[in-house]
Amino acid sequence: MNLTGFLALTEREISRFLRVWQQTLIPPVITSVLFILIFGYSLGSRIRDVGGVSYLEFIVPGLVMMGMIISAYSNSSSSVYISKFQGNIQEYLVAPVSYWQIILALTIAAVLRAMLVGISILAVSYWFVPFSLHHVPVLFYFMLLTSLLFAFAGIATGLWASNWDQVNVFSTFIITPLTYLGGVFYSISSLPLFWSTAAKFNPILYMVDGFRYGLIGVADVPVVYSLMVVFVLTALFFILCVQWFRKGYKIRA
Amino acid sequence: MKATADLDHEDTPKLSIEKGEKNMTDAITIHQLTKTYLSGTVALKGITFSIKAGEFFALLGPNGAGKTTAINIITGLANKTGGDALLFGKDVVKDYREARALVGLVPQEFNVDQFEKVSKVLYFNGGYFGLSRPERFNRIGRLLKDLSLEEKRDTKFRELSGGMKRKLLIARALIHDPPILILDEPTAGVDVETRRFLWDYFRQLNRQGKTILLTTHYIEEAEELCQRIAVINKGEIVALDKKQNLLALLERETMTLHLKRKIGRIPKQLQKYHPQEQDAIITIEYNPQKEEAQEILDAIQAAKLPLLKIETSRTTLEDVFLHLTKK
Repeated sequence: MNLTGFLALTEREISRFLRVWQQTLIPPVITSVLFILIFGYSLGSRIRDVGGVSYLEFIVPGLVMMGMIISAYSNSSSSVYISKFQGNIQEYLVAPVSYWQIILALTIAAVLRAMLVGISILAVSYWFVPFSLHHVPVLFYFMLLTSLLFAFAGIATGLWASNWDQVNVFSTFIITPLTYLGGVFYSISSLPLFWSTAAKFNPILYMVDGFRYGLIGVADVPVVYSLMVVFVLTALFFILCVQWFRKGYKIRA
Repeated sequence: MKATADLDHEDTPKLSIEKGEKNMTDAITIHQLTKTYLSGTVALKGITFSIKAGEFFALLGPNGAGKTTAINIITGLANKTGGDALLFGKDVVKDYREARALVGLVPQEFNVDQFEKVSKVLYFNGGYFGLSRPERFNRIGRLLKDLSLEEKRDTKFRELSGGMKRKLLIARALIHDPPILILDEPTAGVDVETRRFLWDYFRQLNRQGKTILLTTHYIEEAEELCQRIAVINKGEIVALDKKQNLLALLERETMTLHLKRKIGRIPKQLQKYHPQEQDAIITIEYNPQKEEAQEILDAIQAAKLPLLKIETSRTTLEDVFLHLTKK
């Protein structure tokens, strides 16, 4: 096994987002702070407690998940797509590294970026609203698996996309709406029955809700359901990535 | 093993096409390699050839002939449909790790991260091929020196000139010191000075024992550098032989007679040479192995033509290439 090759590829993927840290690590933290200021302080002061916690405390887990989802997805999708576009994906296609080592390197970088963003948002949020960590293993489970899931989704989209618009289609028309409707800013128990039932078909709800349980101990859905949904989705996207990379989908003629 | 294939043309002598065999001493063995793209396009129709260790070998063909497809299969950038491709006996699919470590590819396109620094490109690529950090730094220093890129060590790829970019692609292909080097149009778009520099460098690498497979549009480049040449056309090898033997295929010389005025009819002394007349120029093609130039010159003198000057020219590899690929 070419361990050095794998480590070099991982190092390259990490350096790729670190060399532009102002574009990759800072913006999601600023966005979260803006949401805290607008929704938490300004509008949130008029909203009564949600599930026994302040509105500000309620939205922090969702903001963390939102930042992590976008970071993990952006990292792997842009890395794969830009490498395809510039042609430098061929550098590791001609090297003695296996397809699963390539997937793992791309994934580690995406997860690291998402974790750095998630931890930064948590740290900044703590300054506005001090919270205690309710259940650390559950908290860590959702941070890790959500990052993995969207790292895999990003790799798959990067492989599939033939132009930059297609990379953005997935984030603009699927991730962003599902995130905003995934209980980041409200509890689904406050919705009418039809909409609260419909919300349960939104997979991002389970990530936000499960993570919220781990952070502040409040959840709309039994946490075990959330654990399972996220695990199954992550496994499905992992299998898709492995299959596509193994076949060389859109990268090997 | 050698076999002959008679190409259906009255002026063409028998072509020798070597049949490749799975041989551990061969650097590259291609056996009945086929490739059909999903679109249905048949790019390779079962090509067979082998390249011996230490050889400088050219694969020539017009655009779309299948050259790059063959190279892509050898290097792992394309999946074959059938047949075998082996590097020093290692199958490029089954033993892909060992096989890929044996080859360095200089592609036609600049497939490098535009924002990466020169030294970093080499550093990461050395890593992909399993080189330790000290080995990488050592190789980077050596290659940057050999290719006169030392001053560009910290320059981003996008800021390099065309010639420098080509040199970096070559350094990248050599970072793991592979025994086989594949050059796909390695001097496209570079100035004459750089081209000469690179030719010398390739010869030096070949003398040091590297097996080199070259594809190029510059026939002169193949003629200058290579010992054997394969011509591929429409997915098939149409000729494969030593350079001298290929040139002998069209062993012809042309004598061009520039006249002071148009004469209107060919003198009878020259008619047996089937000359062509256009305006005040007569051209006579002849095979120097069958007809002597002196004999033709005597005939010209006897015809008492109003001669201005006489020029002669020999067949070039380009003539042979065009002859083979226009069929």
